Amino acid sequence: MNLIRRLYRGETSFDFVGARRLWLTISAALVLVSLLALIVFGLNLSLDFRGGVAVEASNPAGASVADMRAALAPLGLDEAKIQELAGGADIRVQVGALTPSESEAFQKAVAEATGTTISEISLNEVGPTFGAQITNRALTALIVFLAAVVLFISWRLEWKMAVAGIAALFHDLVITFGIYALTRFEVTPATVIGVLTILGYSLYDTVVVFDKVKENVEELHTDRMTITELVNRSMNQVLMRSINTSLTSLLPVGSLLFVGSFLLGAQTLRDFALALFVGIAAGTYSSIAVASPILASWKEHEEEWARVRRRRDRGRGSRSETPASPTVTKQAPTRKSGATPRPPKKGRKR
Amino acid sequence: MSRRITTLIIVLLFAYGGVAAIVGSHSTPKLGLDLKGGTSVILRAPEGTDPDVLTKAVEIMRGRIEAFGVQEPEIAISGNNSVLVQLPGVTDRARALQAIGQTGVLSFRPVFTSSFQSPIFDTTTATTAATTTTTPGDTTSTSADTTTTEATTTTTSLPEGVDPGTGFTITDSPELLRAWVPEYDSNGSLTAGYEIGTLCNDGTTLATCQEGSDGNPTNGTPDPMTGSDITEALANFSQTTGQWQVDLKLNDDGARKFQELTRAAAQFPTGDPERQIAIVLDGKIISAPQVASTVDANIGIAGGSAVITLGAGDNQQAAAQDLAVVLRYGSLPVSFEQDQVQSVSATLGSDSLRSGLIAGLAGLILVAIYMLLYYRSLGAVTIVGLSVFGSLMLIVLGLLSRTAGLTLTLAGVTGIVVSVGITADSYIVFYERIKEELHRGRTMKAAVDEGFSRAFHTIITADTVSILAAVLLWLLAVGPVKGFALTLGIATFLDILVAYFFTRNAVSAIAHSGLGEGGRFSIRAAAGGVQEAS
Repeated sequence: MNLIRRLYRGETSFDFVGARRLWLTISAALVLVSLLALIVFGLNLSLDFRGGVAVEASNPAGASVADMRAALAPLGLDEAKIQELAGGADIRVQVGALTPSESEAFQKAVAEATGTTISEISLNEVGPTFGAQITNRALTALIVFLAAVVLFISWRLEWKMAVAGIAALFHDLVITFGIYALTRFEVTPATVIGVLTILGYSLYDTVVVFDKVKENVEELHTDRMTITELVNRSMNQVLMRSINTSLTSLLPVGSLLFVGSFLLGAQTLRDFALALFVGIAAGTYSSIAVASPILASWKEHEEEWARVRRRRDRGRGSRSETPASPTVTKQAPTRKSGATPRPPKKGRKR
Repeated sequence: MSRRITTLIIVLLFAYGGVAAIVGSHSTPKLGLDLKGGTSVILRAPEGTDPDVLTKAVEIMRGRIEAFGVQEPEIAISGNNSVLVQLPGVTDRARALQAIGQTGVLSFRPVFTSSFQSPIFDTTTATTAATTTTTPGDTTSTSADTTTTEATTTTTSLPEGVDPGTGFTITDSPELLRAWVPEYDSNGSLTAGYEIGTLCNDGTTLATCQEGSDGNPTNGTPDPMTGSDITEALANFSQTTGQWQVDLKLNDDGARKFQELTRAAAQFPTGDPERQIAIVLDGKIISAPQVASTVDANIGIAGGSAVITLGAGDNQQAAAQDLAVVLRYGSLPVSFEQDQVQSVSATLGSDSLRSGLIAGLAGLILVAIYMLLYYRSLGAVTIVGLSVFGSLMLIVLGLLSRTAGLTLTLAGVTGIVVSVGITADSYIVFYERIKEELHRGRTMKAAVDEGFSRAFHTIITADTVSILAAVLLWLLAVGPVKGFALTLGIATFLDILVAYFFTRNAVSAIAHSGLGEGGRFSIRAAAGGVQEAS
């Protein structure tokens, strides 16, 4: 049976947890690079966080960046950041904080240079403390949200699952911001929204996997399966769902990203979609490669599961007879293919 | 007809009928300013501002904006201490911002004449008692019947054509006015340099000097003192006089101007209208105290502090407090900082809306194709389910827009696009469960029933996390994040409803029909063609 067919029928048996060294090394490297990027480059915060004035105007006069710079020079706005949008059909100018009268003069200059009127110009004027406020609000929301989620997952599933889920979440957040730091993309309030959504997605994904783990623990808890095997089995069972969900989530977000990048007037969409795209991808990866291995390793140390393992270790010689679990029929063919879900320790000893 | 078919029909009728009703009654959600163009301003009051004070400020702003002629302004308190002002399609941005953002222009001006003295005006209600009291030193206390906020004007006593609110639109009776105010020229318009105002509480009309373009009076009278010259204004009960008063402290500039003003006013005898100082806020005279009789006409009131005496009694206490607030902040009871001004041109707005819709549609179509290819007949259920979901979303947003004034912003639209992913996931979780149950060898019907009850458990758990995120975001965030959280929360909630009432019944109906087992389009085929265990 080829891989696609097995995937399609949900009969894969990848040893996800067994490869945790590899996963966690990759993740640790990604997180480290992200943190380094954040420290070295920092985030390219948009005007909303620094304060300032940005205008966006259509450009019937066809003013170039140089024309605009010349038009703004008499106002002493040499530091202006000027960008052509949509292939020169639009122009965007960004300057630091201005007084109301300076701001009006600035808008007037841009309107004249582009051949438009002030009322046709889109404006975003932000006070210097606004960004700090948004950030504070977002951080408050984040902390309260995390506390609530830990409580909820602890109640509905298990507290160790909550901790593993949060660990995966931080992994996703750090990597997302790391990519923003590396690529120098602007972090806007729309990005913040995107990131807040990632919180939901990342946990959602993890919850689906853990829900399955919990169910399997209740149903298949015999003395013959270690927790690592159970987690592996659960992940294989929900693998197709994870792939499908990621695809169906990424399709609309990808179309937002595409439309936002290529169509006029959708910069907000693009800012938002980029954060989501990275976040969802990282979220799917981390529920498989971070949350689940952490949970499995952690629970291996619990007395109950350690006992199962010791018993398994003793009965190593008669391993071929062990799959007397209710899953015999499903697992038998795949075992022969060599991808047996088995405890990694044992694997290394061989 | 089985119960599930009945439920299905009810759900479909409700969803599609609801959409028809919403569209038919033009109740589709109102669009936010970022989608239709307009200006939105976030103003922030100092931390810990009393909510009542904020409410009052919002009322005043609303009044100002309406006077400015803006259609459907939306002014709302947002968060603890912010006010969100939304002005659709405002073209004169600068003036509109000035109208709401500023605390108001306050000035102290000389008075030239008063209807109280004029026989033309039958101001029966005028009660200005020219009782003057003296306090030691250079400080004067003046008495006038002044209050600020309750602007009930006795219109009956005003000449025809005088706007009781502003006192400015005098066009009908130039003769009357010329007789009263010599500064009116023969054309019936006010000579440059003067303006007329009505003292709100009793209809007394005053003429004061007007500022020229340089901010100074145009007719050679002393400079008016402005609100920014006042450093402190406190309502007090004086033990010495037994009356309520407002204590003023002025800066150096203000002290000089105030001394000039009072010296000029003190040239006139006690009781003369020109012995008054008019306190003018945004062109409206809110108070006009007399300069006390003890003030030396050669010196005026010097020293940078003054007392305005209002009188005894409870209503005078309120009047003193109101006046103190106006003197401190202008007409807004608290000073606001302008946090963000965002203005979107109408073309950019419609571009954004179009882009959002294109992205949303494209995303939906891609998801639909994928689901159809992967899950066959179950994919078809998903497509109908997404249309039911979309219909319900439109109904809820339309109703909220109508009843709670919800507006759909770009962030809200993105929330909906994202929720497509979450909804699609619910189907996937369910279908994968069915496949799994089939692989375990269950019958088709058992697989569907068992699959749903298991999947629904997962869906509820996962959706709760999403709803939790949405609710917290909605409670804690400001501005666009709120709109996003709202649509995301509604969508997630609807997802649960659709899964329970629609998806379960529709899938069950298919399982009971020929599409369950046979053919390439069947559920069995979607599950990889495994056979029932015997």
